[in-house]
Amino acid sequence: MAEKHIISAFDEDIEKIQSTLMKMGGLVEKSLFDAAAALVKSDIELARKVKEHDQVIDSLEEEVNIQTVRLIALRSPAATDLRYALSFIKVASNLERIGDYGKNMAKRSLVMEPSLITEQGSNSLRRMTKDVILMMNNALDAYVRKDVELAEAVIIQDKDIDLHYNALFREFLTFMMEDPKNITTCMHLHFIAKNIERVGDYVTSIAEQAIYVATGEYPSEERPKLDTTSLTKVDPKSVS
Amino acid sequence: MKNEIKISAKGVQVFYADKHAIKNVDVEIKDKTVTAFIGPSGCGKSTFLRSLNRMNDTINTCRVEGEILLDGQNIYDPEVDPVQLRAKVGMVFQKPNPFPKSIYDNVAYGPRIHGLSQSKTELDEIVEMALRRGALWEEVKDRLSEPGTGLSGGQQQRLCIARAIATQPEVLLMDEPCSALDPIATAQIEELINDLKENFCVVIVTHSMQQAARVSNKTAFFHLGDLVEYGDTEELFIKPIDPRTESYISGKIG
Ligand SMILES: Nc1ncnc2c1ncn2[C@@H]1O[C@H](COP(=O)(O)OP(=O)(O)OP(=O)(O)O)[C@@H](O)[C@H]1O
Ligand SMILES: [Mg+2]
Repeated sequence: MAEKHIISAFDEDIEKIQSTLMKMGGLVEKSLFDAAAALVKSDIELARKVKEHDQVIDSLEEEVNIQTVRLIALRSPAATDLRYALSFIKVASNLERIGDYGKNMAKRSLVMEPSLITEQGSNSLRRMTKDVILMMNNALDAYVRKDVELAEAVIIQDKDIDLHYNALFREFLTFMMEDPKNITTCMHLHFIAKNIERVGDYVTSIAEQAIYVATGEYPSEERPKLDTTSLTKVDPKSVS
Repeated sequence: MKNEIKISAKGVQVFYADKHAIKNVDVEIKDKTVTAFIGPSGCGKSTFLRSLNRMNDTINTCRVEGEILLDGQNIYDPEVDPVQLRAKVGMVFQKPNPFPKSIYDNVAYGPRIHGLSQSKTELDEIVEMALRRGALWEEVKDRLSEPGTGLSGGQQQRLCIARAIATQPEVLLMDEPCSALDPIATAQIEELINDLKENFCVVIVTHSMQQAARVSNKTAFFHLGDLVEYGDTEELFIKPIDPRTESYISGKIG
């Protein structure tokens, strides 16, 4: 913040909430990272940790909400400060949801049977997770620095996550049609892929908050939505 | 009518001797709307407000340039009678200033000098109507002959508003009308302002950003004699355009 509030405690309040959000972001990143690793390595201990970890993320969200309500009640924020206050609650909620998906991935990793497909799929999912983590870090950077350009880049990056999901969707579908024994594994893998794709949407929402805080407007164009799987038809004859 | 321009200021400059207090201000103030003037102390809010009904005429060193059109007529035209003008453009000051007269006479004063009533009953009606509109009638109807100065501060301020309304003005100018009042009296005045905009063009100067946000439809931000930003109150408080406005409303050092 280049300009300081006359009441310096106001700056401190805002900085405190931002740092709680960044702490949340760090934990959420770790949660996604570990969940993907647990999946690849079938590491039960790591998966358990991710689940425990999630409670910390939830309590940080609550902290952000309490701090923000306090900020609104005591400081009557206006202009950028007001937009920040609104976005704090949204960004915290986005991060909390992303954390939930990490937890969900960890949970599923506990029930997957080892197989070649599990191994292949897990590695793809880990790559996808890494991409979405990078995106999330950029979104949070853009948010704190009010960097519109970076936020816009993140929104565009979400397309790649969608495309990645589409590719995996087809792949898992193929495996399932090849052999019904693959169905359980592929269903889990598919849910994880879908969840990572959703993480991309939440990250996009954080990038949109960055733009809102910086400009007072939400990005006008429709978000690029490249998840086309809802239009994909299954044609058993195409596989054999 | 709503959304019609009531007051149009064009290239207005105000000087106190050499002091350039208002610099080339253009603004269009809408009818049946509450417009708030905000800005740091000494930026010229009161000066500009007073120029809207020629209150500045009473200050010797004060010189106004440019045009202020009320319903299209320049109020600084030599043929305009300032006394008539002030009946049309009423004013309420920061400190309640009831005359040392009865509550009744305080309100009846304006209608009497402007000959707005033919009979005692008609005058009674005007006084009651003004006190009702001023949200004071219920509290004073049984003590109309008591001195206005015996009322509480908040009641006195509402009496002054009733007095300003009694001449049936078209525009009501208020200079920090709530600065001496407690939150309840402030809320009553704000509620009143909200009612008044049904019939009047209201312009209010306030130091309270929250008050401006609560009562006004339009807000003008003044800084060092310039009108920096003027627009819908919501826009101005959520998304100000000028960095000076942003700094001021968020309490930052520029
Ligand atoms: N009668 C006067 N003679 C000389 N200078 C004056 C006079 N009245 C105001 N000024 C000057 O004109 C400038 C604007 O004053 P004005 O009273 O309009 O400010 P304001 O915005 O209403 O401030 P506040 O919020 O403190 O009431 C100030 O610099 C002030 O010193
Ligand atoms: Mg003043």
